[in-house]
Amino acid sequence: MNRSVVVVWIVIAAVPRAGHAQPIDAGVPEADAAPAQQPAEDAAPPTKPELTAAELAEIEAALGSDAKDTAATAPAAAAPVASSFNPDIALILDVAAAWFSEDDNLQTGGHDPLKTGFNLQSLEMAIGKAVDPYFRFDANLAFSQDGVEIEEVYATTLELPANLQVRAGQFLTRFGRLNPTHPHAWDFLDQPFAIGRVFGGEGNRGLGFEVSYLTPAPFFLELVGSVTDANGEGTARSFFGPVDSPVKSLVDFESLLAAKEFFELSDNWSLALGQSIASGPNATGRDTRTNVMGVDLYLKYRPITFGSDTVVALQSEWLYRRRQMPDGVASDVTGYAYLFWRFTKRWGTAVRYELGTASGDDLDPEWVDDRHRVSVNLSFWPTEFSRLRLQGSVDDPTWQENPIWAAFLAAEFSVGAHGSHKF
Amino acid sequence: MRLIQLLSIAVTLASTSAAHAKVEIVTTVPDLAALAREVGGNKVSITALSLPTQDPHFVDAKPSLVLKLNKADLLIAVGLGLEVGWLPVLQNGARNPKVATSGTGYLECAQHVKLLDVPTKAIDRSMGDIHPGGNPHYLFDPRQAASCTQAIATKLSELDPANAKVYAANTKAFLAKLDKARGDWEKRMTPYKGHAVITFHRSWIYLVEWLQLVSIGELEPKPGIPPTSRHVAALLQLGKSKGVKCVIQEAFYPDKTGRLVANKLGGTVVLLAGGSDVGAGETYIDHMTHVIDALESALK
Repeated sequence: MNRSVVVVWIVIAAVPRAGHAQPIDAGVPEADAAPAQQPAEDAAPPTKPELTAAELAEIEAALGSDAKDTAATAPAAAAPVASSFNPDIALILDVAAAWFSEDDNLQTGGHDPLKTGFNLQSLEMAIGKAVDPYFRFDANLAFSQDGVEIEEVYATTLELPANLQVRAGQFLTRFGRLNPTHPHAWDFLDQPFAIGRVFGGEGNRGLGFEVSYLTPAPFFLELVGSVTDANGEGTARSFFGPVDSPVKSLVDFESLLAAKEFFELSDNWSLALGQSIASGPNATGRDTRTNVMGVDLYLKYRPITFGSDTVVALQSEWLYRRRQMPDGVASDVTGYAYLFWRFTKRWGTAVRYELGTASGDDLDPEWVDDRHRVSVNLSFWPTEFSRLRLQGSVDDPTWQENPIWAAFLAAEFSVGAHGSHKF
Repeated sequence: MRLIQLLSIAVTLASTSAAHAKVEIVTTVPDLAALAREVGGNKVSITALSLPTQDPHFVDAKPSLVLKLNKADLLIAVGLGLEVGWLPVLQNGARNPKVATSGTGYLECAQHVKLLDVPTKAIDRSMGDIHPGGNPHYLFDPRQAASCTQAIATKLSELDPANAKVYAANTKAFLAKLDKARGDWEKRMTPYKGHAVITFHRSWIYLVEWLQLVSIGELEPKPGIPPTSRHVAALLQLGKSKGVKCVIQEAFYPDKTGRLVANKLGGTVVLLAGGSDVGAGETYIDHMTHVIDALESALK
C-alpha cells in the first residue's frame, strides 16, 4: 500500500504541474502557424464543372424534385474538408498495477484488475462510421492477453420516422446508466459488483435488436425495448448463463424495457433518471424465470453560466433481482452510489459505496450475508486523451473472516478518433 | 382504409401547419444564433446549444439538447472539429435526418470563411489539441461573420423559399449595418496597428489578423495544455522586449496566469465573453463593440 502511494507521487511529480488547469483544444502550435492566411479558395477541389442555369434547369426537370433538393444544397465549396470513407478507429489502453490483501479477491468485473501485480485491463478498439444514409455501424473489440472479444457490433438506423431508432447486432443493453458504457467512460477503474453479480463481468449484452422511441413529452423521455440472447456467464449470468439452451420460443430470449428521463433543472444543474426491467429464462429448471428491476439516478452540477472547471456528480443505481428456482424464489438487492468531484480541470476525486444483500441463490452460494465495499479514487487528466488514477478500496463480505483491501494505480491512453459519449 | 384516410388528413394538416410555423434553428454557439437572428427575424425561432460563458470545446451532450435537435429544421455549426466532443452524439440521438451532417438542414459555417492556421505539415496530438482543418475561432472577425451570415441566408432561403425575400432583405440590411460598424471599429483601432499582444489560447488569431495586431504567443505552451512556468517565463521575457501591454482571453479560462503576466508587463488582462449573450438580447454588433471597447481601453 505504502509502496503504491510512493509510486503514484513519483508519477504525479513527474508530470508538469500547473497552477490551474485549462480547457483543451484548438488552434495550431506556433510552428504550424506560418501561413498567416490561407484563402479558402486555394483549398477548393481543383475543378468543378460549372453548369449554366439553363442546364441546371434541364437536369432538374429531368430528375424531378430529388435533383432540385440536391442541387440546392450542394456546398458552395471552399474549406478543405477532411473526408474519408475509412471508419473512425480509436484504441484505448487501460493498464493497472494492483495490490490485494487477500489472494482470493472478489472482483467481478471482466476488466477489473484481478491480481496483485500488473494487469492489462483491456485494449479496446472502437470503430464506427455511417454505412449509408440509412445505417450507422459501430463496433467495440476488446483485446486481452487471451485473445480478442467482440464486445459490441451493431448497426443503428439513421432515418426511421416517428422518432424511432433501431439497433441490431450485438450490444450492451441499456439497463441502467453504467451497463451500456465501456470501462474508459467510468469514473472508477473497476465495475460495481452489482453489474458483475447480476449480469456478469462483461455487463449485460447479447445478440439481438433494440427499438427506442423519443417521446413527444415536454421533457426528455426515451423509451427503450430490446430482445437479446439470454446466454453467457459474463453477459447474462442470472438468465441462462453459461448453459447454452436452444431457443424454442420467444420467452427463451432476454427482454428489456427501460425509460430514461432527463431534466435540465437549470443551466448548471442536470438530473437524469432511469427505470429498467429485464426478464428472461434461467437454467435452474423448466420455465423458471429471472426478473431484474433497476432504478438509476444521476445528478450533476457543472457551472456554465460563469467560468469554472468544477464538476460535482452523484450517481446511484439499484438492482432488485428475483430468480425463480424449482424450490422457491431467491431475491436480492445490489447497488452503488458515488459522489464525483472534479475540482480543477486536471484533478478529480470520487468516493463510492456498494451494497449487495444475501440471496440464497445458487449462482453465488457463498453470498449468504450482506457485502459492503467502499472505494476512493483520485484522477489526474494530463489531457482528455490520457488519465492516471489511484484507487483504494475495502471490501467487506460479511461472510468472510477478513475484509479485502485493495489499491490500484491505473493509466489510460487513447489514440485515434473516438466518438463522444452520451451524457 | 378509413384509418389510412384519417392518417393522410392528419399528415396534411400537420404539413400545412408546418408551412406556417417558424423555421426552428439550432446553433452550436451563441454568435451563430445572433447572426441567424439577424437573417431570420421573426420568421424563425432560434436556440443556441451553448452559452457565451461556456467553453465551446467542452459542452455536455445533455439529452435536453437532443430534444432541441429533434425538432430543428436547421442546425448551424462552426465546424473544424470545434464541436466534435459533443455534437455527433446529439445528432445521432436526435432521430432527425435533417440535422445529420449529411442532412439538408445542416450548415457548417467553416465551409464559407477564409480559414487561418490550416496545417501545412503532418500533425499529431503531441502538438497539443489541434484542429486539422484549421482554426475554428473565426467568429471574432466580423468579415468572416459576414460570410457566415450570407451562408445562413442562402441556406434559410433554400429551406423556406416562401420567405426568401424577407431573408434577403434582412441580410442586406444587417450586412450594411455590420459593414458600417466594422468601419468604426477599424478606425478606432487604427492607432494600435502593429501593437503586440499575448493571448491565452489561440482563439484570437482572426481578430489579431483583422485588426493587424501582432500576437507574440499564447500562455498555453501548446493548444489545450495549461501554462507551464518555463513557457510563461519565456513569453514574459519576449513580451517585455516587444512592449506587450495586453493579454487577451475568454472569461471562461482561468485568469490567474493572464493577470500575473499582464501585471508583470505593466498592462492589463482583457477578459472577454466567448460570444454574444443572445439570451439577454445582445446582438453580434453589441458583442463586438464590447470587444473593441475593451481592447481599446487596454491598448491605450
